[in-house]
Amino acid sequence: MHVIVQVLIIAALAPLLQGGMKLLRARLQGRPGPSPMQPYRDLAKLWGKEALLPEGVSIVTIAAPGVALGVALTFAAALPLVAHRIPIVDIIALAFLLGLGRFALVLAALDTRSAFAGMAASRDMTFASLVEPTLLIALLGGAVIGGGTQFTSLSTVVFGPASILAFAAFFLVMLLETARVPFDNQETHYELTMMHEGLTLEYSGWQLALVNYAGYIRQLSFFVIGAIVLLPGLNLAATIGGIVALAVAITLVETAFAKVRLFEVPQVLTTAFILAAVSVGLRLFGGIA
Amino acid sequence: MHGAVAFGTLPSASEFLRLDTGVTMLAVPFLALLAMLSFAVGIWSLQRARPVDIALIAGFALAMLGVLVARSVTAFFLAWEAMSLVSAFLVAAHHERRNVRRATLTYLIIAQAGALCILAALCILALHAGSTLFTDMAAAATTLDAPLRDAAFALALIGFGSKAGLMPLHFWLPRAHPVAPAGASAMLSGIMLKVAVYGLCLVTLELAAPAPLAWGITLTLLGTVSAIGGVLYALVDRDLKRLLAYSSIENIGIVTIGLGVALTALSAGNAAVAGLALIATFFHTINDGLFKGLLFLGAGIVADREGTVDLERLGGLWAHLVWTAPLFLIGCVAIAGIPPLNGFASEWLTFQSLIAAVTGAVAPVKLVLLTAVAGLALTSGLAAACFAKVFGTVFLGRPRSLSPRERARETFDASVGGTGVLAALCIAIGLVPALTVVPLSAIAAATLHVAPLVQPMLPVLPISIAALPFAGALLAVILVAVRGVRRVPTWTCGSSVTAAAQYTGAAFVNPLRLIFAFIFRPRGRRHTRYLIDESARRFAAITLRLTRRSRIVQSGSLRLYLTYAVATLIVVVAVVH
Repeated sequence: MHVIVQVLIIAALAPLLQGGMKLLRARLQGRPGPSPMQPYRDLAKLWGKEALLPEGVSIVTIAAPGVALGVALTFAAALPLVAHRIPIVDIIALAFLLGLGRFALVLAALDTRSAFAGMAASRDMTFASLVEPTLLIALLGGAVIGGGTQFTSLSTVVFGPASILAFAAFFLVMLLETARVPFDNQETHYELTMMHEGLTLEYSGWQLALVNYAGYIRQLSFFVIGAIVLLPGLNLAATIGGIVALAVAITLVETAFAKVRLFEVPQVLTTAFILAAVSVGLRLFGGIA
Repeated sequence: MHGAVAFGTLPSASEFLRLDTGVTMLAVPFLALLAMLSFAVGIWSLQRARPVDIALIAGFALAMLGVLVARSVTAFFLAWEAMSLVSAFLVAAHHERRNVRRATLTYLIIAQAGALCILAALCILALHAGSTLFTDMAAAATTLDAPLRDAAFALALIGFGSKAGLMPLHFWLPRAHPVAPAGASAMLSGIMLKVAVYGLCLVTLELAAPAPLAWGITLTLLGTVSAIGGVLYALVDRDLKRLLAYSSIENIGIVTIGLGVALTALSAGNAAVAGLALIATFFHTINDGLFKGLLFLGAGIVADREGTVDLERLGGLWAHLVWTAPLFLIGCVAIAGIPPLNGFASEWLTFQSLIAAVTGAVAPVKLVLLTAVAGLALTSGLAAACFAKVFGTVFLGRPRSLSPRERARETFDASVGGTGVLAALCIAIGLVPALTVVPLSAIAAATLHVAPLVQPMLPVLPISIAALPFAGALLAVILVAVRGVRRVPTWTCGSSVTAAAQYTGAAFVNPLRLIFAFIFRPRGRRHTRYLIDESARRFAAITLRLTRRSRIVQSGSLRLYLTYAVATLIVVVAVVH
C-alpha cells in the first residue's frame, strides 16, 4: 500500500520538478520564464491531441511509449522511501530495468527509418553502455561494506569523503541519464544536436505525452537516489532537501556550462568512473566511510 | 617433487583401456542443455537442413553426450576427439569456398593442439593416481604436489579454454562457427563451447581439486577480458552469424567469471558463496545455450530466405517474417540481459555472487572481483547496444537493398517450431527462475560436497520488474486501437523518404568503434583489425619463419638422416646411463 502511495506522489510531483527547474533556469538567464505548472499543461495538451506515426512501423514502435512509462513507474516504486515487503528492484536490477526502457525506445527510433532518430539512438545507447559501470560502482558502496544489494543498503553508508566521491560520480551519471548539459540539451530544437529529444522525434500527440511523462518520472526518481547517495541515512526530510539542492545545482551547471563535444563525453564518463572507483577503494581498503 | 616415485605405477594395458561411463551431478546441467537444444535443432532441421547435415548433427550430439558421461581418461579423450572431428565436418559443409577450407584447417589445428594439452593434463593426474578412472583420480587429487597441480591446470586451461573460445585463444571461433550450416552453428556455439566449460569444471572442481586461489583469480580475469573483448568485436561486426559467434565468446566470458568466483570463494573456505557462484555459472551456461541457439536458428531462416546475413543489406524483415521476427526479438532481449527473460536472471545472479564474494575476500582479491563487476556492467551495456543494432537493422526499418523483392508472408513450419521451442524456454526460465535455480542449487551442493545450500531465491522477481512495463506496452497498443493514429511519412526535413537515408548498423555503432579505437585499430572507414587476431597472426608468422630456418637440417639425403638417427641413439643411451 505504501508503495502505491509512493508511486502516486512521485508521479504527481515529477512534472513540477521539471517546471521548477525550467523556471529557475530562465530566471538565472534573466528571462521571466514559464510557470512551474507548465509541464502539466503541456502534458494535458499533448494528451488531447491525435498521434501521428510514420508509415509501416511495427508494433515495437507502438508499444515502446508504454514500456517506457512502465519502466519509470517501476523505478519510482523501487525507491527506498518506504519499507518494501517484497523488494521490486535492487541496485543491480536497476541498471537492467533502465536498459529495458532504453532498448524499447531505441528500437522504436530505428523502426521509424529517420536518420535523426537513428543518430540519437546510437548516441543514447553508446553513452548508456559506457555509464553502466559507473552507475553500479557508485551505488554499490553499501553493498561492498556488507549491506547487500538492496537499495536499503544505501542507508548503511555514512556521510564522509567516500560518500562525497560516490555522489560526485553519481551526479555526472544523473546529468547524462536525465539528458542535461554538458551531455545533452533539452532546450535545443536542432535535430542534429539532440540525444533524448531526437530519440522520440517521431512521436507526437498523446504518445509523446506518455514518453515525456515517463521521462519526468524517471528524472525525479534519479533525483531521489542522488539525494540518498549525497545524504545517506534514508531520512525523508533530508531527501527532500537533497532533491531541491540537486535541482538548483543542476540548473546552475546548465547555466554555467556549455555542451561538451560528443567525443569528449567519454572522458567525462571516465572521470565519473574513476571517482566511483576511488570511493569504493576508500571504503574497502581505507576503511573510510 | 619426488621424481618418478610419486607417480605410482603405470596402469596395465587392460586398465588403461577402460571406458567407464557414468552420470555425475556436475554433468547434469550440461546434459539438460544438450537435450533441450538438440531437440529444438532437430525440429528445425526437418525443414531446413540437408540429410547429411542432420546425420552429422546427430553424431555430433552423440559425441558430446559421450564427453559428458565419460568417467575415464580413455573414454573422455575418445569422445572428445570424436566431437572435434564430427564438428570439423560440419564446419567444412560448404568446402567449395576457400574461406571455409581455411576456417576448417584453423579449427582442426587448434582443436588438435588443444586436445593434446587436455590429454597431457589428464595424464599428469592419472599418473599421480595410478589409475585412469576419474573417481580414483579425484580421490588422489588431494595429495597432488602444487607444481604438478598447477601444470595440469595450465594445460587444461589451454586445452579447454581454446575450445571454449576464451580470449586470447578464441581466434578460430569467429571463423569456424559462422560458416557451418545454421543448425550446426547453433550446436557449436550453443553446446560445444559449454562442453569445454564442463571440462574446466571437471578439472578444477573434481580431478585436480581443491583449486588454489590463483586459479580462481586467473579464470575471473580471463572471463572479464573475454566478456568485454567478445562483445566489442560482436558490436562492430556486420555478418550476423559471425556477430553471434563473437557474442558466444562474450557469454563464455561471463560463465568463466562465475566459475572463477566459485573457485576463489572455495579457496577462501566460503562454501555458500562458492555455491551461489556455481549456480550462476550453470545457469548462464544453460541460458546462453538456449538464446544463442535461438538466434542462430533465426539467422538460418533469414539466410535461407534473404540469401545473405549481411546487416548492411537486410532490413524491414518484420513485415514478412511474421513468425521469426518476434522469436528473434525474444532472443535479442534475452541475450541483452533485459528483464524479464533468462539472460537477465543469470547475469543478475553472477553479479550477486561477485558482490557476495567481495565481502569475504582479502584486499587484492577484492580488487579483482570489483574489476569483474565493472567489466560485467560494461559488457551488459554493450551487449544491449549490440543487439539493439542487430534487431533494429535486420528486422525494423526498411529493406536496405536497392531493389527489395516482394516476398511471401512466412508460414508456420518446422523451423519456426524449433526456434519457438527455444523462445518458450527463454521466457519460462526468465519468468520463473526458480524452475532452474532450485535444481541447480542441489547440483551445486552435490558438486561441492557440502550440505544443501540455502536456495538463492532471487530476492528480485523478474515478474515484478516487468509487470508494469508489460502492462504499459499493452495499454499503448490498446490505446492505438481505440484512439487510432494517423500514418504519415517519416520527417526528413522535407526531403523524400528513402531507404538509403535510414541509419545503418555500422553508423549505429560508429561512436563506440571510435571510442574503443585503441582496441579496434580502425583503418579507414570500413576495416577493423583485431588486436588479438593481429598478435596471433604475428605469432604464426614468427613460427613459420623459425620452421623455415630449421629446414636447413632437412637436406633430403638419406645418409644424413641415418646420421641423425645414430646421433640421437647415442645421446639417448648417454642420458639413460
